[in-house]
Amino acid sequence: MASQLAAPTALVDARALIKRFGGIRAVDGISLAVQPGELVGLIGPNGSGKTTLINLMSGALVPDGGTIRVGGVVMNGKAAHVFAGHGVARTFQIPRLFRRMTVLENLLAPALTRKSAHGHGTIALRAAEVLTFLRLSHLAHGEARALSGGQQKLLELGRAMMLEPRVFLLDEPFAGVHPKLLGELVERIAELSRRGYTIVLVDHNLDAVRGVVRRLVVMARGRQIADGAPDEVLRSPDVIDAYTGA
Amino acid sequence: MPRSPLQIWWLVPIVAALALPPLLNGYWLHVLSVSWYYAILAASWALLAGYAGQFSFAHMAFAAIGGYASGLLAVDLHLPVPLGILCGIAAAGIVGAAIGWLCLRMRGPYLSLFTLAFALIFQLMLIAEYQFTRGSLGLSVPEIFAGRSDTPYYYTGFVLLLVSLSAMSFLLRSRVGIFLRALREDEDAAEACGIDTALYKILIFTVTSAIAGLAGGFYGHFVGILTPNLVTIPEMGLVVAMAVVGGVESLPGAVVGAVFVYVLSEVLRDTGQMRFVVLGLLIMLTQRYAQNGLWTLALGRGGRFWRRPPPRAVAPEAAAPAVERETNVG
Ligand SMILES: Nc1ncnc2c1ncn2[C@@H]1O[C@H](COP(=O)(O)OP(=O)(O)OP(=O)(O)O)[C@@H](O)[C@H]1O
Ligand SMILES: [Mg+2]
Repeated sequence: MASQLAAPTALVDARALIKRFGGIRAVDGISLAVQPGELVGLIGPNGSGKTTLINLMSGALVPDGGTIRVGGVVMNGKAAHVFAGHGVARTFQIPRLFRRMTVLENLLAPALTRKSAHGHGTIALRAAEVLTFLRLSHLAHGEARALSGGQQKLLELGRAMMLEPRVFLLDEPFAGVHPKLLGELVERIAELSRRGYTIVLVDHNLDAVRGVVRRLVVMARGRQIADGAPDEVLRSPDVIDAYTGA
Repeated sequence: MPRSPLQIWWLVPIVAALALPPLLNGYWLHVLSVSWYYAILAASWALLAGYAGQFSFAHMAFAAIGGYASGLLAVDLHLPVPLGILCGIAAAGIVGAAIGWLCLRMRGPYLSLFTLAFALIFQLMLIAEYQFTRGSLGLSVPEIFAGRSDTPYYYTGFVLLLVSLSAMSFLLRSRVGIFLRALREDEDAAEACGIDTALYKILIFTVTSAIAGLAGGFYGHFVGILTPNLVTIPEMGLVVAMAVVGGVESLPGAVVGAVFVYVLSEVLRDTGQMRFVVLGLLIMLTQRYAQNGLWTLALGRGGRFWRRPPPRAVAPEAAAPAVERETNVG
């Protein structure tokens, strides 16, 4: 009963999602309701289905079963740009920037798709703000492919911000980021959360995730094995099992 | 693209082209008039392949659709030529939209092969349906202007080139320009950014095919005969070469490339097969040393081979200390 009452307010509401690739069930009946303003960590061993779940929640993949709602609207089968239009922004595990466009153009592209995107001046202003926020201003007119790995992760985050989304789905934003930049990036994401953005954060870097999230969801073999406060979840025998590879 | 106050610079080649005909003999006037046809094709293909990343080999088929539609309407229904050309543009645009739709799930080499197969089938159809098209014998179509001078064709072709260039650069300067390049770079990322990639893919196929149809219509009523040879692989290769040599990510580059390559091939006509060797070498050299084409090279921006960072960019390495400093402060 409680979950039914909570459901309508959930920003992204995944119910019993299933995704098969050939014989394997990459996502096997996952339900995940993300409430407005939440910062949820999503962890799990390699191949446990985290990226697939992000792909289902952002419309990049169509579920074989279950329903996906965004802001109460059923989105099954809608194209990814429709999800983006409903305020779902995502980043990719391996950065997928518009490599032969400038850093600034990478930011302008998503902003220009918004209905509210009237004045080019306001968009340029927002892009400048995002560049300052991510400390990338000095690179604005360079091509995106010239960025370092960590800077590419930052720019992907910036591109997501330019959508003015309701929820961020971040797939391993810390992977391959230099420790010096890592602190920076964690701080940027925590800052977004403090500003009231809703965020789902996938990562392997437990220490980085643990520091910022209040809720941790653990996946293993396409299923959810834990959901709760980070410290409790990480003490759970199922999680310890999954991580020690029982 | 930085807006330079030197936009007026564009008037120089335009005025030169307008002033040229009295200085040319009949032969070169004809060559340049035909080169406008290739310039429209090369520029529109550059928009499709260079900007939007849709490496289609069906472009000549759309030119033929425009040419044959207009020609047949003139021959069979005695439609006035301008009206016929407009119908040709519409026909090419509609078929272009259909091809764009069929190509939605195809990327890279698959799209190239699909469009190539479409072009070959279309050429065979032109040959096979000889009761309508006169097959390989060629379809005689009425010319636009009476009289034997090519001068009116020269100006007509040039104006059509300017009109199509204006339409295309209008598109590129709008937000569609950025969406098309995003589509070229990464379709999934473009979708994630809210760009309706299916819509823009169909749109760009429609627009560039319609422009190819315009070129074909002009060409047919200019030379007075249409044959299925319009759609051969070497013809398509020639247009690709023009765009590549001039600069496939630049409309003026493709135009310059088209005129340059076509004039060069006429200059070398006496050398027989040797001219293909020269053209082939030219393509190999630009691909090796100036991938962005001779146009970009001429503007001093260099090819990818020796690319320096763009003017206002700072090398990524130089960014590290700044980040470090700020992290320490925070
Ligand atoms: N496009 C695909 N085609 C076939 N199998 C896939 C595809 N995408 C994912 N899989 C499979 O689905 C399972 C889950 O993969 P997924 O990428 O979602 O895992 P993950 O939790 O993100 O792993 P990692 O931590 O390594 O990123 C894996 O077994 C993977 O091989
Ligand atoms: Mg993953």
